[in-house]
Amino acid sequence: MARYLLQRVFAAILTVFVTTIAVSMLIHLVPGDPVQIMYAQSQGTTPEQLEEVRARLGLDRPLVEQYVTYIGRVLQGDLGHTIRGEQPVLELLLLRLPNTLVLASAALLIAATIGMTLGFVAAYKRGTWIDTVLMTTAILGVSMPHFWLGLILLFYFAVQLQWFPVAGNGIENLVLPAVTLGLTNAAIIARLTRSSMIDIFDQDFIRTAHAKGLPKAVVLSRHALRAGLVPIVTMIGLQFTYMMGGAIVVENVFGWNGVGRMAIQAIFQRDYPLIQGFILMFAVVVVTVSLLMDLIYAWLDPRIRR
Amino acid sequence: MTGPGMISDTPIAGAPAPEAAEAAETAGPVLSVEGLSTEFRTAAGIARAVDGLSFELRRGEILAIVGESGSGKSVTSLSIMGLIPDPPGRIAGGRVMFGGQDLTRLGEREMQRLRGDGISMIFQEPMTSLNPVLSIGRQMTEGIMHHLGLGPAEARARAIEMMRRVSIPAPESRLGAYPHQFSGGMLQRIMIAIAMSCHPRVLIADEPTTALDVTIQAQILDLMREMRDSTGTSIILITHDMGVVAETADRVVVMYCGRKIEEAGVRDLFARPRHPYTRGLLGALPVLGQAGAVGSGALSEIPGVVPALTALPAGCRFSDRCALATERCRAEPPPLEEPAPGHRVACWHADAAEAGA
Repeated sequence: MARYLLQRVFAAILTVFVTTIAVSMLIHLVPGDPVQIMYAQSQGTTPEQLEEVRARLGLDRPLVEQYVTYIGRVLQGDLGHTIRGEQPVLELLLLRLPNTLVLASAALLIAATIGMTLGFVAAYKRGTWIDTVLMTTAILGVSMPHFWLGLILLFYFAVQLQWFPVAGNGIENLVLPAVTLGLTNAAIIARLTRSSMIDIFDQDFIRTAHAKGLPKAVVLSRHALRAGLVPIVTMIGLQFTYMMGGAIVVENVFGWNGVGRMAIQAIFQRDYPLIQGFILMFAVVVVTVSLLMDLIYAWLDPRIRR
Repeated sequence: MTGPGMISDTPIAGAPAPEAAEAAETAGPVLSVEGLSTEFRTAAGIARAVDGLSFELRRGEILAIVGESGSGKSVTSLSIMGLIPDPPGRIAGGRVMFGGQDLTRLGEREMQRLRGDGISMIFQEPMTSLNPVLSIGRQMTEGIMHHLGLGPAEARARAIEMMRRVSIPAPESRLGAYPHQFSGGMLQRIMIAIAMSCHPRVLIADEPTTALDVTIQAQILDLMREMRDSTGTSIILITHDMGVVAETADRVVVMYCGRKIEEAGVRDLFARPRHPYTRGLLGALPVLGQAGAVGSGALSEIPGVVPALTALPAGCRFSDRCALATERCRAEPPPLEEPAPGHRVACWHADAAEAGA
């Protein structure tokens, strides 16, 4: 178990390390002079000022030196300052990150609850009209883009019915974006839960559990669901990272004040330090979540821990 | 075949099972299957996997049901247990009498009370028959707590006792282990421990040794015999392996395409097989120090394959593969006759087959 844990932690650190290389070189992917592009929107910047920025960002140094400087700063918790307003990037991100995490978690909760329930029912009722209706709905759900579903929900529940506010950052504002983000993912989880449970229902050990004379409910919950949980949890873990990505879109549709919305603004404003910081933070979140998932597997599946 | 350390020498703990005492009083068979038919709906039509099967299981006996894959032997066991998946399957006729009740008429709830308690079952693949994510202790105690109404501590004690009886070393420390940490032979011992933990009157063993190494097979068969001797539990042993039958069974039912074609005591059957199919099965069995059991020097095999259940011959179902088959065999199904006491056979040429031996 300790060895498994160490392996996972090492893999996580390596992933973040590779990300830092990509992030630090990101600025050079821009065609032309990054500094000029960054300041293209601000008027009255003199060539001397641009030169000064270039020197401050270290862009006049060799690539390796740039990277070493960058990683040195990152290790000290310094992600640089934004171009606009000269604010520390890390502080800005940490201020907004909880909002995004709350949104993604709420969406995940909705997705997992609805998805697993419907998938389980569909598997149990496999081949019946219930199964057909549920899975057709799920295909519809999978194919629906976030921004489109978001707009539909906004129009119907916020504008027409006025059950929820259109935008804002209170708990009542959380419902629509979380549902938007959750529903499409619920469809994916439902489909996976269904196929996973159908596979499990045909396993020998389910027949053994029935042959022991256990009540159906016990066979389904203790034996079937428990055994089918590993692939489902894997998928849910993956979904969380997709949801972080989906949050970028949904936050913009609903005006939810998370890092995603800030990232879009940063991209429009060519605020490179902020974009870099955002990507790095995103990578850390994704890696942390998958590390957490690895721990949950080990807890769920005794064959993984050794 | 008994080797050192194969059978537990632990004295049998606990009082004799009350069910066993009750069965002894009522004499007669513990379980009797009467005209059982089980059907499955398939794309090619209705397949009658078991067709009018009858047999009796006596108290304390080991009855082997033998046949190739597709002969209906596993469907028979699942029919007795009420575990035929419906749809596509259903019991189309007949009775399964156990403890004065017809099991085919019981509701799901009543069957649940019986499964694992009055009748229990072990399966072919011990590696996949236990839940990989639940501990052995959990899987052992859940049935005990459910059927015997014991608390967790008592159930644990019973589980340890059962594990000791099937010779699992250091059972106390193995309760927390998971199936992947055991060998196939050990897992089958655990399956037997689970199956025997609630004092069943009948144990159905569906190909219990097929997935195991030969040396482990012998140990498991010994263990089952030992369990029968110490508890009086009757065993239905389902197998395709005549070697296993010879080693373990008291009586044998030979099935072909869902029907019983021969039934006899094990010595009688091996000495005087009357059905050409049975003789074919025995001919496919290597015999040490003898140039083939039935005449020829080479190991014989039965030509052809088992016909599809949806396209059976009109007469004797074995007629397509039988060397002795005549017009009558193809047209008219042979009735089950009893040429010698306790020896039944369904073949128009049973006498000729015997004479040719």
